[in-house]
Amino acid sequence: MSFEQFQNQSRLYVIGALEPEELEEFEKARKKFGNKAEEFITKCYALHEAFALSLRPAKASTAIKERLMAMVKAKKEA
Amino acid sequence: MGRTKSISATRRKPKKRMHLAKPRTRRFSVAPALEPGAPSDFELMKGIQAGDPDALSQLYDRYNGILKALILRVIHNEAEADDLLQEIFMEIWNQAKNFSAQKGKPLGWMVTLARRRAIDGLRKKQAYARAEERLQNETEQQPDAWVHNATEEQIMLSDTRTLIRKVIRGLPPAQQQAIDLAFFKGMSQREIAAKTNTPLGTVKTRLELGLKKIYDGLKELKDEL
Repeated sequence: MSFEQFQNQSRLYVIGALEPEELEEFEKARKKFGNKAEEFITKCYALHEAFALSLRPAKASTAIKERLMAMVKAKKEA
Repeated sequence: MGRTKSISATRRKPKKRMHLAKPRTRRFSVAPALEPGAPSDFELMKGIQAGDPDALSQLYDRYNGILKALILRVIHNEAEADDLLQEIFMEIWNQAKNFSAQKGKPLGWMVTLARRRAIDGLRKKQAYARAEERLQNETEQQPDAWVHNATEEQIMLSDTRTLIRKVIRGLPPAQQQAIDLAFFKGMSQREIAAKTNTPLGTVKTRLELGLKKIYDGLKELKDEL
């Protein structure tokens, strides 16, 4: 697998769209390209941010934060 | 877990703020800019790792809307999305020690976590059929669907979102659909092929081309943001 092919596969990998047989080849190439591969995969995760930021923020119930912070407080005190 | 200085205290005394090591990998970010003086996401994560609830509170205020939108896009149920949002922030609190600035940005980590939980929730309920039906019904009402004809004037969009959506909308509809099904529904290439009655090779090409265009578009966006 060339590095360009690896880059294409990396973008599929980060969104979980590689098929099992592709994943095996991808992991082999990942080892082969070493740090260069890891750095590229890390950059690809910006796609996750972008997809989330492309959505209009939704309003969460106000009770959610209160419940969350109460749970955190209880956990800290436990 | 030891008690540490709160983030708000850190804000009052910026000189004492702990600086994190620069991530070894240069990343491009699409996250919106923060107000001057506001703690960065990395600082908030560090606060959470140190057991500071105020840091979690600030991170929640900053990103609950984005994460809820993501969850809603996957599961299409308001009450379940709220419950899942709470669980996800609790997981952020519990799993903060596993976050590494070297491996990525906090928002990316949170989105990855939220997406996984939302898709898991969807699968557990075995609600694909119902969700798809709702999705069909909501396509015309859903202002945030990628394939949608609402004018920008109808929706108050942030600059960041507008720019990102511009990149996504620049894709052919078939590529948008393939990415939408893969990212927001967690579908495999084979599942997308079956759902859209498209050859597997075509689905793969659509995903590869679409994701590359978005990735390249984001690199250009980085300079505009």
